[in-house]
Amino acid sequence: MTSIFEPVLADLGERQRDEILAAFAAVEQSPEPVPEAVAAGLRDATLRRSVAELLHLIGRTLVRAGPGTWTSGYRDDIAARLTADGGNPLPLADRAVLTLVLIHSVAIPRTEGTLSGDSWVEGTPTPIEELQRRTQLPRGELRQSLGRLRAAGLVRVVPARLRPGTVPQNTAYLPGPQFHRLTEAARRRLQEELILAAGPDTPLAAAIRRRRGPGPDGETGGDADHEKRMQ
Amino acid sequence: MTTPTTTDPVRSKKHTSPTSPSRPTGPDDTALAWARARAGGPLRVPAGTPAPAGMLRLPEPSGDVAWLVPQVPETADTRVLAELGLAGPLLEQPNDTARLLAAVLRCCWEDPLAVIWPGTSAGSAAVLAVFGELTGPRDEMAHRRSAVAALRRLDQAGWLLWDETGDTIRLGPRVALWSGSELTTLRQLWRSMPEPASLPGSAS
Repeated sequence: MTSIFEPVLADLGERQRDEILAAFAAVEQSPEPVPEAVAAGLRDATLRRSVAELLHLIGRTLVRAGPGTWTSGYRDDIAARLTADGGNPLPLADRAVLTLVLIHSVAIPRTEGTLSGDSWVEGTPTPIEELQRRTQLPRGELRQSLGRLRAAGLVRVVPARLRPGTVPQNTAYLPGPQFHRLTEAARRRLQEELILAAGPDTPLAAAIRRRRGPGPDGETGGDADHEKRMQ
Repeated sequence: MTTPTTTDPVRSKKHTSPTSPSRPTGPDDTALAWARARAGGPLRVPAGTPAPAGMLRLPEPSGDVAWLVPQVPETADTRVLAELGLAGPLLEQPNDTARLLAAVLRCCWEDPLAVIWPGTSAGSAAVLAVFGELTGPRDEMAHRRSAVAALRRLDQAGWLLWDETGDTIRLGPRVALWSGSELTTLRQLWRSMPEPASLPGSAS
């Protein structure tokens, strides 16, 4: 069978093809963003353009995760079609737990002004005790959910931040490395979905609804659509 | 060898992809089909659905449905991560998960010289008996719990097909992507494992 990538690779030498395919595999398969130092296909701007072309053919796009690091994510137009039917591959409990981590680790610190930027990877770790307190899941199910989310790269475990005068906490969670895969538009949409869910009557929510306009696309695609844009 | 990963989100087995058999496949339809497979594992489509570019079409033995599995060149598979010194995906309970996949391989690939997919169905008792041989003695409850957890992970990721109602297990469509050299290694592994029929408790 002819590779789907032939239109991009056909006229290139063997070495260039290998470097482009290796960089493609690295950004698609690596659980963490890939430093361009390890892959010539990411270091060289011309080769990197070819990597982006390969990704485009299969509904993906190259995402800059930080200075000199790269990953891949869903193209925005493809993500919209993937989530159009409301389907979501994560079990309901996992979605609920992930949303709690997003709210406590990123959304609240951002609202309080202690966290800037639009990244969903950095934030204030959410202690396991906070998750136990806020969730309606039994402890065993919460633990299993966190295990699955961790294996999927959607949450990560970090040492809990010590607050003066409190007992040290065991474990805390931050959103996982898969959140690097969100494009700028997907990061913005996730923020908007949380605003619409947490404060539907606020002027900010009204402005978001106005900008999105009427119709099914203007009503929100659900507050957990973002998972599909990752992985 | 391509590492079995459970990082893929859960795929809905009951759901058949809406790809219509007659619809022409344009570049965006191809991109969408690849993205759907990335998000939810191999695509289950009505038989006769043309394969989008670069996807392998695997008809089910029953004849009414087929699987579409994305196929990248060998130089672009997960082995690249190790070559570049990058960490691979995190796997829950990697040892038990790998042992269970090995047990399914031993039970469902009856003739290791034949093509690996679709293979045959095996009862869960046979798979659990081989799995028990690979893990060593364990408390019966712990044995069953770890086997079921591994079955669920591998089923969700498309490495095997677990019919919970019928209590049978088959290899999943992803195994059809294993290369010739990977199959050579797997044949050696196959020969080193106990035959299911020789094990007590292997009959359902």
